[in-house]
This record gives sequence, C-alpha cells and structure tokens, in this order.
Amino acid sequence: MTEELKQSPSEEVLLSIRGLKKSFGSHEVLKGIDLDIREGEKIAVIGPSGCGKSTFLRCINCMEDPTAGSIFFEGVDLADMKVDINVHRQKIGMVFQQFNLFNNLTVLRNITLAPVSIAQKANRKRKVRNFFRSFLNLFRKEKKPLLPVRKSADIRAEAEKRAFELLERIGLSDKAEVYPSTLSGGQKQRIAIVRALAMDPDVILFDEPTSALDPEMVGEVLDLMKKLAEDGMTMVIVTHEMGFAREVATRVLFMDDGQIAEENMPEAFFTRPQSARLQDFLSKVL
Amino acid sequence: MQRIWDLFYQQFITYGAYREVLEGLLATVEIAVFGLLIGVVIGTLIAMVKVMPKYKRLPRVLSGICTVYVGFFRGTPMVVQLLIGYFVLLPALKIAADAVTVAIVVFGLNSGAYVSEIMRSGIQSVDPGQLEAGRALGLTFWKSMFSIVIPQSVKNILPTLGNEFIVLIKETSVTSFIAVTDLTKAFRAIGDANYEYIIPYLMLAAVYLILVMLITLGIRIMERRLKRSDRRA
Repeated sequence: MTEELKQSPSEEVLLSIRGLKKSFGSHEVLKGIDLDIREGEKIAVIGPSGCGKSTFLRCINCMEDPTAGSIFFEGVDLADMKVDINVHRQKIGMVFQQFNLFNNLTVLRNITLAPVSIAQKANRKRKVRNFFRSFLNLFRKEKKPLLPVRKSADIRAEAEKRAFELLERIGLSDKAEVYPSTLSGGQKQRIAIVRALAMDPDVILFDEPTSALDPEMVGEVLDLMKKLAEDGMTMVIVTHEMGFAREVATRVLFMDDGQIAEENMPEAFFTRPQSARLQDFLSKVL
Repeated sequence: MQRIWDLFYQQFITYGAYREVLEGLLATVEIAVFGLLIGVVIGTLIAMVKVMPKYKRLPRVLSGICTVYVGFFRGTPMVVQLLIGYFVLLPALKIAADAVTVAIVVFGLNSGAYVSEIMRSGIQSVDPGQLEAGRALGLTFWKSMFSIVIPQSVKNILPTLGNEFIVLIKETSVTSFIAVTDLTKAFRAIGDANYEYIIPYLMLAAVYLILVMLITLGIRIMERRLKRSDRRA
C-alpha cells in the first residue's frame, strides 16, 4: 500500500477505458477491460502471445474499432463513431513493432509530414473563414477581426526546426536527408519515436517497440524510452522486456485471455505475483 | 515469289495502299493511347472507391456500382462491347460520332475495368503498416493515401500498366468489326485486292511486333529508373 502511494502520480486521469470489448468475427479477443491511465503514468502490459495485449493497445487510438465499451480521452469517447478520431489521434502517439517509417520520404519529411500537413490544413480553414468574414465585414457596423494566418513556409520551417532539435536529441541529425531503407533497425525505431514526439502527444502507445530489433539495438531504443519516461511522458508499453518493465513502469498489467488478470506496482508484480497464471508466466520468461 | 512481291509492291506503292496503312497505324496507336488514358482515369477512380474504408453507406453503394461495372467489362468480349456501342447505343442515343471515337471510348471503359484491378492490387501490396502509421499520427485516410501509400504503389503499378498498354495495342485489331480502318483492316485490304495474303499478313504481324517491342523497351527503361530510386541513400 505504501508503495502504491509513493509511485502512483496524483495527476488527473488522462485516459479512462470502460468495458472495452473487441471481437474479430465470432472470436472475442478482448473481454471487457477497465483501466484508468493518469497523467505521467508508465504502464507496461505483459502477457502470453495471443492474449490480446496488442489489440488492446490498438483499440486505445481506434486503429481497431472497439466492439463495445468506451475510451474517454480529454472528455470525449473515442469509441463513438461520430467523433473525429483524427483530431484526437494527433495527441495519442503510437510506435509500432515494425517501425513503419514512411519509405518514400526522407527522415526529416517522415517527422514533419504530420505536423506540417495538419497545421496547413488548419491554416487553410482559417483562410476560408477569413474570406467570408472580410466579405461580411463589408456589411457590418462592428467589424469582426480576421483570424491569424501563417505563411506556409513558416509552418514548414518551424516544423523542421523542431524535427532537427529532436534528431539532435537522439544524435541522428546527420540522417535528416536520408531515406529509411538505409537505416538500422534501432535508428529506425528511434526516429519513429521522434516522429510521434513531433506531434507533442499527451500519451504514447508502444506496441512491442523492441521485438523486431537485433539484440544489440534493443538497448539504444530502451534508453530513449527511459529518457522519455524521466521527462514525464505518459506511456503505455506492450513489451516482452521484463527488466525494462520493472525498472521504468509505474504499473504493470498482466493480460491473459482478453482480460487484465493482474495489475500491480512493478516490484510487487514481479516479486509477489498473486495468480497462478502469472506465476507460471513469470517462471517461463524470467 | 517475285510475282507475289510485285503484286504487293504494286498495291502498296503504286495504288497507294500505304496511305491506308499509315491511317490504320495512326488509328491503332490513337485508340490504344487514348483508351489507356481514359482507362487510367476510370481505373484510378474505381480503385479509390475499392480501397476506401467501408463504414459509411456511400462508399458501400459506390463499391457495389464499381463491382457491377468491372464485372460487365471483364465478363464480356471487347468485340461485343464495340458492337453494342456502335450499333446499339449510338443510334439509340442519336449521337453523331465516328467509329474511331466509339472505339476509343469503348477501349477506355474496358481498360478502366482492368486498370482498376491493377491499381487496387498495387495499392494493397504496399505494407498496411504505412497507412496505419499515417493514421496513427492523425492524418486523414486520403492524406495518408496520397502522401504515403500511392507514391509507394506507383512502382508496382507502372510496369503492369505497360502490359495493359500492350494488350490494348493488340486488341485494336478487333475494331474493324465497327469499320475502323486499323492496321489489320488496312493490310487485309491489300491482300484482298489480289487474294495474295502472305506478305501483307506477315508484314502486319511484324508491325504489331515492332510496336509491342518499342513499348516493352519503354517499360524496361521505366522499371530500371524506379529500381534506382529504391537504392537512393
């Protein structure tokens, strides 16, 4: 209990998942999951393969549409099909097992594509509204002020500056102009993390970020994730790296058969597993 | 042999049959090129509909229409489509159009059905993770498609599109059914004049062969270019 008080951040709830279910055809993968994720928490999700942990993660930002249940993020239920999911995904970063860097774009463009195109889209919308406003202002006594509009080149320059800062942080600024096919797995994954960071997300979802890496490259990716954790980023990490989960996570979930079978603070989780199923699992992987 | 050759020469040069051959060559190339262009436009539209997410009703209705369209144009012979277009639709709709125009439109509609499949499979052969990564960053489906997926699918699509062009070039030989003077008809007329078909038909085959070889060469150069862009550092 004292451990819980010490480790759990007192910040407000960022993501609130209620009764989340997901079926593929007649096969029910997630059988009702409830979870609150507070700001600054680092949640590690472990479990045997096929238990639904990746599906769970992919449901959080609706990469898979939940069959039932709700996901509250900033007061909005993401599972509601009427919600414009794209707006909210901008604040939920995701890092994939296979990196998924855009093969047709340079590293720099990989990082800036989303920030630039989203900012430019908002800019275009403001321009259109300004057009109507200035037209209607002709007939108004009290003129409405025009919305601020930025130059397209400025938006790009700003995004590139930020991208270079981030690349500098991971020591890969010399790779800005190369294509992903020339990078090592570890470099790709670190750039994928930076790409997610460029959107200034409130939470980042990691889907087995080190599983596709050669062993000697796992370290560099985990180090970057540790730095992120120290900076206070909220993280949900599906992983097989037990040591990492124990060291970095503030809470560890054990998923089994589409449900959260056990959850605890990392120390207690690994040293005093409660259920027989978790004891069995840990004895196999540790 | 000398007699056959003289007869051909007489027909081809002296009686001016070469003019028809050139006209036929022009018609053949014209029908294939414009047919392919129309086909690419229609095929792209259908492929877009096919790969769209199907949550809402509109994409599902559009997709149904496209399935019927592709089914019709792939399920009936091109000759039949030409005959229907020229002898049924043209009089019924009271449109004044010449046979070449009808052939171009029918070839375009027909190849649209095939090109749509080429494009769809080209788009779907791109790693789905690419689209997912774009969507996860908050980009819309279309933005992810146009900035990430489609540029990567071009490499898969272009060579197959070249094949479709070859097919179209050869298929133009059936346009004589609706009285288009294409290559085949022009050479057949030369043979018909003296009932000597050896030289005209062998030559006809040679002309098609040269056309196709030229296109093949073009495709190969294109492929090499695309491969080079794979290795760019």
